[in-house]
Amino acid sequence: MTATLRRRHPARPWLAAAAGGLVLVIAAAVWHLTLGAVQVPAGEVISVLTGHASTPGEMIVADIRLPRVLVALAVGAALAAAGVVMQGVTGNPLAAPDLLGVTAGASFAVVLALTVVPRLAEVSTVALALCGAAAAGCAVLALAGRSKGSGLRENRLILGGVTVSALLLSLTQGLIIFHENNAESVVYWLVGGVNLSQWREAWTILPVALAGIAGCLAMASRLNVLALGEEMARSLGQRVALVRLCGAALVILISGACVAVAGPIGFVGLVVPHMARRLVGSDHVRLLPVSALFGGALLVLADAVSHFVNPPNEVPAGVVTALLGAPYFVWLARRDRKSA
Amino acid sequence: MTAIAPSPSPASTAASHRTARGRWYLAAAGLAVVVTAYSLTVASVPLPFGDVVDALTGRADDALSRLIWDYQIPRIILCWAVGAGLGASGAVLQSVIRNPLASPDVLGVTRGAGVTALFVVLILPATPLSLLPVAALAGGVTVTVVVYTLAYRGGTTPIRLALVGVAASACCEAVIRFLLMRYPQNVNGSLIWLAGSFFGRTWQTVAITVPWVVVCLPVVVFLGRRLDVMGLGDPMAVGLGERAEGTRRLAIAVAVVLASGAVAAAGTLSFVSLIAPHIARRLIGGRMAALTPMAAAVGVLLTLGADTLGRGISPPLEIPAGLITAVIGAPYFLYLLMRTGR
Repeated sequence: MTATLRRRHPARPWLAAAAGGLVLVIAAAVWHLTLGAVQVPAGEVISVLTGHASTPGEMIVADIRLPRVLVALAVGAALAAAGVVMQGVTGNPLAAPDLLGVTAGASFAVVLALTVVPRLAEVSTVALALCGAAAAGCAVLALAGRSKGSGLRENRLILGGVTVSALLLSLTQGLIIFHENNAESVVYWLVGGVNLSQWREAWTILPVALAGIAGCLAMASRLNVLALGEEMARSLGQRVALVRLCGAALVILISGACVAVAGPIGFVGLVVPHMARRLVGSDHVRLLPVSALFGGALLVLADAVSHFVNPPNEVPAGVVTALLGAPYFVWLARRDRKSA
Repeated sequence: MTAIAPSPSPASTAASHRTARGRWYLAAAGLAVVVTAYSLTVASVPLPFGDVVDALTGRADDALSRLIWDYQIPRIILCWAVGAGLGASGAVLQSVIRNPLASPDVLGVTRGAGVTALFVVLILPATPLSLLPVAALAGGVTVTVVVYTLAYRGGTTPIRLALVGVAASACCEAVIRFLLMRYPQNVNGSLIWLAGSFFGRTWQTVAITVPWVVVCLPVVVFLGRRLDVMGLGDPMAVGLGERAEGTRRLAIAVAVVLASGAVAAAGTLSFVSLIAPHIARRLIGGRMAALTPMAAAVGVLLTLGADTLGRGISPPLEIPAGLITAVIGAPYFLYLLMRTGR
């Protein structure tokens, strides 16, 4: 019963966890910036970060590696925050953008546009990804809402979401096979990663991610009220439907933007909130920033580790997050006591 | 489709059930023959039916008979074997676990078999092809045992078992992605295999797959009556002289063997083993002795149909059969999900 004990004293470790997360983010980013075909010493990396880039190594860091790390940081942090919001809004501990079909929907929409109407794709991949994310998310929620029993809390929601994801990924794969037999692009849209990111991607994702995380933080106290239960929240004067709608909109915004720049990256939104909850308890005001920090650190580390998967080639970080996250999902699925 | 709903008169019910079943069997067999014949004519260039008949009777020129005998026929035999294996295996698992959502793919057997098969293909390329089903089997069995153990807490519920199965599948999927990235020499081939496809299968694959199905299918059909007894509930079954736990384990084992063999031959052909038994149950009812063969027949029709469609939609490009079964099967699974449990 350590869990109840931890919940009784949630206040102590939260500042330590936040500080630890911040240190971890910086250390991971610096380590990542030293890695690659050319090893750049950490000292030079730091001098780049403080604004001087003169040697070739420093130029490489500033022009090639820094945007990649920034994208990883932004995507990881935003996805983790989206995971917290999704779990809070649905009241379902297994909810996450990739498990409810949202990322797969975004990915499918982008690929559909790229293969069928390429001119549309040139306009804005972000907008397309947002449309796909919204459509898939709404479809899964509607399915769960129509089934017998109490909808969102149930594992049926997750099974439905996973099935919709599988279907959409199959369709994506089919579209790509139809269009061009290019394994690299198949892999990119089935397993996301940040290894192709440049400054353009970084400038696309950074504002969206910051806005998204800020939105999530603004919802934190409302999510706390909702966590007391729908009835209780309503009697405390909360407009539950509105909170849910805002949460869903935030999740869709974040996942759509993340897919548009980095492809579908799995399990960050599922795993990080749970780890953070173990550290700081379930108060969303603390949980959200800590999750965002750890999510950013996790994706930067995953991207760094992916250098070692098949050197000298670089592989998508999504492979590493899937390898780490999927066993955790098994464990959560087994542990969950609300099983029907 | 001449079957007439059985008359409600109690005296004639059993007999008319039997004739209705017989009609459905006949219809399925007839349909299978028609689809097979049509499938023979679908290739990257359409083959006129007359030419196919000529080739089969040995009167066609060399190139055409090579095309028919070396490419079309092994593929179709493989469709039969894989479809029958998947359909029967799904029927048995659903009956034994008493779970309408059970099937080799939902329980993770398919992905587990995929992991070990891919492992062998990519990391130990010197392994003889005949060992591929054995490798797939090892993976399938391991994942089944793990999923069942993890989902067992003084019994299992349909939804929990399916959830743990999905989670285990995700885990295997992660390993598969890792393998594909680590050994990218053959990514395209592996991806097509993972989608479930009969592309480029030869007599060699037929030779290593068909024996598994030929041995296991009769066992499953024979087990049908004992499974029907078990359907009365364990105490009743034991009272009637049935060794319930032993029969259950045997049935699960044979079903997993069938599914793993199918995966080794055609990759992860999703949803066939889930929906074939449901369709069969709609047609002829839930008695296992009759259901298993029908589920196998529906599985054959689905697989053969998907493969033929995949070849025929936009030749010379081939759509993997697994994509087509996924498009048909996923919505059906969602429909089942909405109806199941509470």
